Amino acid sequence: MEALSFGFMQRALITCVVVCAVAPLAGAFVVQRRQSLIGDGIGHVAFAGVGLAFLTGTSPLLGAMAMAIIAAVVLFRLERRGRLGGDLSLALIFYGGIALGYLFSQRAGGGLNSVVGFLFGSPNNISWSEVAAITALCAAVAIVVTALYGPLVSISFDEAAARVSGVPTDAVMLALTVVVALIVVGGMQALGVLLIAGMMVVPVAAASQLARSYRSTMLGASAVGVLSAVVGVLVAYYADASTGASIVLTAIACYILATGLRAVRRRYPVQGG
Amino acid sequence: MASDAAHPLGEPSRPPPAQEVVLAYDQVTFGYTRVPVLREVSLHVRAREFVALVGPNGAGKTTLMRLGLGLLEPSHGTVRLFGKEVGGFREWGRVGYVPQRAGAGASLPVSVEEVVRTGLAGHLGLFRRPTAHHRQRIEHVLDLMGLAPFRGEPIEELSGGQMQRTLIARALVTDPQLLVLDEPTTGVDADARRILKEALEHLVQVEHVAVVYISHDPEGFEGLADRVIEVRAGHANVLRSASGDAALPRPGWESSWRR
Repeated sequence: MEALSFGFMQRALITCVVVCAVAPLAGAFVVQRRQSLIGDGIGHVAFAGVGLAFLTGTSPLLGAMAMAIIAAVVLFRLERRGRLGGDLSLALIFYGGIALGYLFSQRAGGGLNSVVGFLFGSPNNISWSEVAAITALCAAVAIVVTALYGPLVSISFDEAAARVSGVPTDAVMLALTVVVALIVVGGMQALGVLLIAGMMVVPVAAASQLARSYRSTMLGASAVGVLSAVVGVLVAYYADASTGASIVLTAIACYILATGLRAVRRRYPVQGG
Repeated sequence: MASDAAHPLGEPSRPPPAQEVVLAYDQVTFGYTRVPVLREVSLHVRAREFVALVGPNGAGKTTLMRLGLGLLEPSHGTVRLFGKEVGGFREWGRVGYVPQRAGAGASLPVSVEEVVRTGLAGHLGLFRRPTAHHRQRIEHVLDLMGLAPFRGEPIEELSGGQMQRTLIARALVTDPQLLVLDEPTTGVDADARRILKEALEHLVQVEHVAVVYISHDPEGFEGLADRVIEVRAGHANVLRSASGDAALPRPGWESSWRR
């Protein structure tokens, strides 16, 4: 395939596949707890970190990482105190993050062009060392999610019962929120802070249409993530479109297809199965 | 994470001596605001005992249970599980909990077996997978609750009764010595209620599990309850014991009263 003969395309494809395979693993727990917007909230604050990094002359990745982890801890504490139920606190975090990020980058002498790649992703500009860093970050996320799988399923299904069965629910949920922050940072260059949260949620929504268990939902969501990444990167190349947008739109197409298949399956159930 | 040597999963379960107090409230007061929901409640549940908690909606039955399970902290008084203050209690495998309407809001498919398995999460901790003994226990509770044919089914496709049995199976998977059920017959049809009752009968009589059963529906515990305790106006009063009805002269004296 011609597209994959270019180094920048190979790097873009590897990064997008790795990020989109891992994002739904944490996303499944976030969706089950009806906190689909938490990744989005952290993404907005991570953008403030990018702006701050421009202003202070440090690495945007480090700036985003620091702010995303702070946001994760603050959001976790708000959620634990029951103050995340309404949409006001999330809205304040969303708009505050975006406003600060843009203000900081403007003060640093940059304009919209300097930050647009962080908002919507620019996978074609990723270096091999960045591919390695993002892959390591995603591997760490996959290991943490695997380690916490049992406790996370337990909490996602019923937190009170999980506590009574001896699961340290606060520690596990804080770890999940930090994992979401790491995914936002890992996916920032590939898909952008505004689109990465979509890849935590949409593949899960697609897989859940056809799956019959939690495990199959997670594995199916990861597969939808990989498929969306491959199709999205290639479509973006041949149609000269935005990669992040193509990936998320492919995932949404998978969701629509899965919804249709589910409707067909319900109308014509498999006999004797 | 519970790493208790006395965990029932470590060896075949032996019920505690019948006189052991498994759950004790002493002079417990609690309020969500400044106004107490429960006032100086004292109540002891012994091993192998079936205690039904009844009372009007909002009287504090569920609050009382949540205090007993360490999900809430009392403003005054102490709560003990198996002789230890609930705040420092770690042997959670000895306790099974079936909350009200658990999983009703699940937005992703979860299979019956996966739900039952979640009961082991606290015991297994990180990275540990269920051993052959755990798998045997899962099979046992699936059989006990008549769920083996539905093990791979998503719970959203179950009837109300099957759902409740799934939650009870989850609570039983660690082989607990105390089982707490909060309104288990809500949204369950008559047939399923009968099956639930038979399963509870088996647990009490054969497996010697102490049961605390919260319900406003006496049919669910009729013939099973050793004591029926009414929670009303912030107090817990014994309405009936196995030896007959008891009309109490004043609230709050229950702890000294035994059947």
